[in-house]
Amino acid sequence: MRRLLGGMDVFTRACAGWMSLMVLLAVVGPFLPLPDPREADFEASAVGLFSPGHVLGTDSNGYDLLSNVVNGARTSLMIAFVSVVVGGALGAAIGIVSAYRRGRIDRVVNLLFNIVLSIPNLVLGLALVAILATSSDPSVVISPSRRVVVIMIALTCVVLPVLGRIARGATLTWINREFVVAARSMGMRDRHIILRHIVPNVLPAIYSVGFLAVGVVIVAEGALSLLGVGVVDGVSWGAMISRVAGEFTFVPHSMYVPVTVLALTVIASNQLGDYLRSRLDLREGRL
Amino acid sequence: MAGTGTAHLRGGDAVLKATDVNVRFKVPGGTVQAVSGVSFDIMRGETLAIVGESGCGKTTLGKAILQLPPPDSGSVVLDGTDLTSLSGEALRAARTSIQMVFQDPISSLDPRMTVRNLVAEPLWVWNRGSEDERDAKVRELLDAVGLEPDLVLDRRSYEFSGGQCQRISIARSVALEPAVLICDEPVSALDVSIQAQILNLLQDMKERYGLTMVFISHDLAVVRAVSTRIMVMYLGKICEVGDPEAIYSRPAHHYTSALIGSVPIPDPTRRTGRTPLRGEPPSPMNPPSGCRFRTRCPAASDRCAAEEPELREVSPGQYVACHHPRG
Amino acid sequence: MSAVMSIRDLVVRFRTPRGVLEAVRGVTLDIPEGASVGIVGESGSGKTVLSRAAMGLLSGSNVDRSGSVTFDGAELVGLPRDHVRQHFGTGIAMIFQDPMTALNPVRRVGVQVAEGLRIRLGMSRKDAAARTSELLAMVGIPDPAAAMRKFPYQLSGGMRQRVMIAIAIACKPKLLFADEPTTALDVTVQAQILELLAGLRANLGMAMVLVTHDLGVVANNTDFVAVMYAGEIVEQAPTTELFANMKMPYTEALLKSIPTVEARPAGRLPVIEGRLPDPTDRPAGCGFAPRCSYAQARCREDHPPLVDAGNGHLYRCWFPLAAPARRS
Ligand SMILES: Nc1ncnc2c1ncn2[C@@H]1O[C@H](COP(=O)(O)OP(=O)(O)OP(=O)(O)O)[C@@H](O)[C@H]1O
Ligand SMILES: Nc1ncnc2c1ncn2[C@@H]1O[C@H](COP(=O)(O)OP(=O)(O)OP(=O)(O)O)[C@@H](O)[C@H]1O
Ligand code: SF4
Ligand SMILES: [Mg+2]
Ligand SMILES: [Mg+2]
Repeated sequence: MRRLLGGMDVFTRACAGWMSLMVLLAVVGPFLPLPDPREADFEASAVGLFSPGHVLGTDSNGYDLLSNVVNGARTSLMIAFVSVVVGGALGAAIGIVSAYRRGRIDRVVNLLFNIVLSIPNLVLGLALVAILATSSDPSVVISPSRRVVVIMIALTCVVLPVLGRIARGATLTWINREFVVAARSMGMRDRHIILRHIVPNVLPAIYSVGFLAVGVVIVAEGALSLLGVGVVDGVSWGAMISRVAGEFTFVPHSMYVPVTVLALTVIASNQLGDYLRSRLDLREGRL
Repeated sequence: MAGTGTAHLRGGDAVLKATDVNVRFKVPGGTVQAVSGVSFDIMRGETLAIVGESGCGKTTLGKAILQLPPPDSGSVVLDGTDLTSLSGEALRAARTSIQMVFQDPISSLDPRMTVRNLVAEPLWVWNRGSEDERDAKVRELLDAVGLEPDLVLDRRSYEFSGGQCQRISIARSVALEPAVLICDEPVSALDVSIQAQILNLLQDMKERYGLTMVFISHDLAVVRAVSTRIMVMYLGKICEVGDPEAIYSRPAHHYTSALIGSVPIPDPTRRTGRTPLRGEPPSPMNPPSGCRFRTRCPAASDRCAAEEPELREVSPGQYVACHHPRG
Repeated sequence: MSAVMSIRDLVVRFRTPRGVLEAVRGVTLDIPEGASVGIVGESGSGKTVLSRAAMGLLSGSNVDRSGSVTFDGAELVGLPRDHVRQHFGTGIAMIFQDPMTALNPVRRVGVQVAEGLRIRLGMSRKDAAARTSELLAMVGIPDPAAAMRKFPYQLSGGMRQRVMIAIAIACKPKLLFADEPTTALDVTVQAQILELLAGLRANLGMAMVLVTHDLGVVANNTDFVAVMYAGEIVEQAPTTELFANMKMPYTEALLKSIPTVEARPAGRLPVIEGRLPDPTDRPAGCGFAPRCSYAQARCREDHPPLVDAGNGHLYRCWFPLAAPARRS
């Protein structure tokens, strides 16, 4: 790990710093002395940056932007991490096993991945949310927490085939390496070959693309909110954006604040993904 | 099916005996007959060299012996057990008696594992000995292949040169004390100055661990230094089998003779390194009828196109599959 | 015989994170007109870097080249890239070890051969096509018309190398650099390609630099040999003279360590122990001293100069082998 941090340039350090800060906020957010993100301050609605009591100002409803950013980090990052980790783990498992087995299973899996990948992310997310998070009875309100879960599931489905295909592709290149043949020739079980030789070599590709996927998912969450199917009345960066979408011209900073935070987070996670890839590939590059 | 014959099989107690082995690959546009109708046997302590040009099926045959993948037809009998009839656990266990050293020393080692784990891996798979015993064995093996255990144990394969990686591979392949060691072009990827070191090492290991060896190579000069019996292949079939002295001094097959004649000899006073061969090997997807070598053979006749030659004895212990062998 | 290319005190340094790596250390070499000069040595001895540097093909901000390289009387070192490029094709051409990576995989063979003719010689499309077909026939490709329409991957390794040769000789160069042209090929194909090169050389009056690690290839295909070790030429002579009268222990060790088809060695093969010295940290004395069985104290302290033994035979050794070299 120390070697991993050693070679970081300033920009990468800044990105790592930003990412850590966001994660920290997500964890300790509720314990910080900030206004309740869901409580409107009617005295001070739509006040600008650095207003007393509202460091980042408020939106037209009087919601404190700083508090929403901090507490929204919790929802947004949780959605991102959960869907990437779950989607990545499932995708990698399916991709690796199907590539290792080859044959019919592999063809079916590959076909399914391709079909899902051919559907644009947002359309897929929208469709899944529509199926899972609408009730036939309009009077039944769907709770924000249920929405969060649904969005996680939808975005997991978006991430799964992406990482699954990468895992499958990487596995296909590694299983032709002679050390895998060597492992089989010494009588190693398939299970052990996958765990000892394939997974450790495929993981670097998954990690780095996983970071990129975090960015994609954060953006997707925001976009779904804008389309009205996100965590609309919850606390998340996407929800902040969707609430003020119509008021951009009147209260521009209420849009800039969440968008900036979101953009910085996406940039940071992409950069960390790239950095990780270059670091982990280095050993391969030296071959 | 007109096989390439089994006249050269010697009976008696062969350690390994392959009969009429066929391996096919489906590729876009057809089927490749990578190995067709190949039979051979190896006695204990022998080194059988399998020689031939790129694509003639040497590696495929080596892997077919290990059942990776199993041949499409034919049998591979090791110490009385037909490996092609085994599957699952029984095959897994039987495989340990045959180990393979691969051509590319770097790709045959997992770049993420330390030398300690690489060499101990076969022992770990088969649960041989305690942790300490395994460690001792790993040290012994590394020592045997000429690496200083304390200097290398905790390093990874990418920190080593090709020759050192090949030493590690060899150490690992003898860890389970196999009966047969298949070396697939173990020195082809190495620098000239390192080749001799590895060839010597293989000889040492053979003596030390009582190995029977299959030595796959395209280089007749290298083969000469290590083998006790030679089998020349062309496009998936056997051309000639026999004792090295006979084959090098009186090659009976025109292909063998061309191979030997093509090797440049480091002596400018002699015109060497010429070949009477025209053209290049035909596609293995539709090999020529009759003798597969006839399209490049200086002695080819109509009979060669019509009829496939069977292996037959031309001098004691020398077998050739040719209608018009060299006199 | 005048030299088509003269290399004088050529030094090539790479600035790497591990320090300055002197890959070529003061090489002086003449390539006589129409002659074939072999450069032999172990992997990493600097053969490729030397030939690339001579052609002015080393790029990158971390490369320093000094010394002099004249081609046809004109100095190439220090010349702007575009001027050096003028010599390519018509003056100097090259072929590489791996013809697959040297050919563009997505363009037809015919187009790639014709390209040089059209750009360099300004031929019309039709003339270039006709000449391409002639060239392909010249390098021994059966059915050139069909071959022209193929992509590189549809050809075997030997055929691809023939295509590379056709491209190289398209504009009748005076000098051909061949960097391990047959290392990736089978022996029978290697023999065919070497024969082809010898024939073309005789027909076109072209000089050739043949880079290889195989002393066997050198013995039968060159007029002169330069043996490289750790970035230097350690022995250089007309080919017959070199093999008859070896002076350098390194050349002898190299020769002894290669197995031959001739005879089965009794017992163990002779080997050169050890490795090339670390190129970023070269020893003070003779680079071969740690591996040399004749080495004495002086070898480890003083760098041996290039000594002229007459007959164009140069060597770099304090304790040269007695003439004639004892060979087993
Ligand atoms: N997995 C595979 N799928 C399809 N074709 C294959 C496969 N493996 C080998 N072949 C084909 O089978 C033939 C024999 O290949 P093989 O690798 O055994 O040759 P080889 O004698 O070992 O050659 P080399 O000297 O290049 O290693 C070749 O034509 C090759 O293209
Ligand atoms: N672009 C580069 N940057 C840094 N070092 C280099 C570069 N190219 C070559 N070298 C180094 O220069 C030395 C000589 O390399 P070179 O490729 O000339 O060897 P060679 O004799 O051609 O070997 P081979 O037989 O493996 O082709 C090596 O130590 C190599 O690592
Ligand atoms: S059988 Fe015919 S074609 Fe084949 S090697 Fe003998 S003479 Fe040549
Ligand atoms: Mg092979
Ligand atoms: Mg080179």
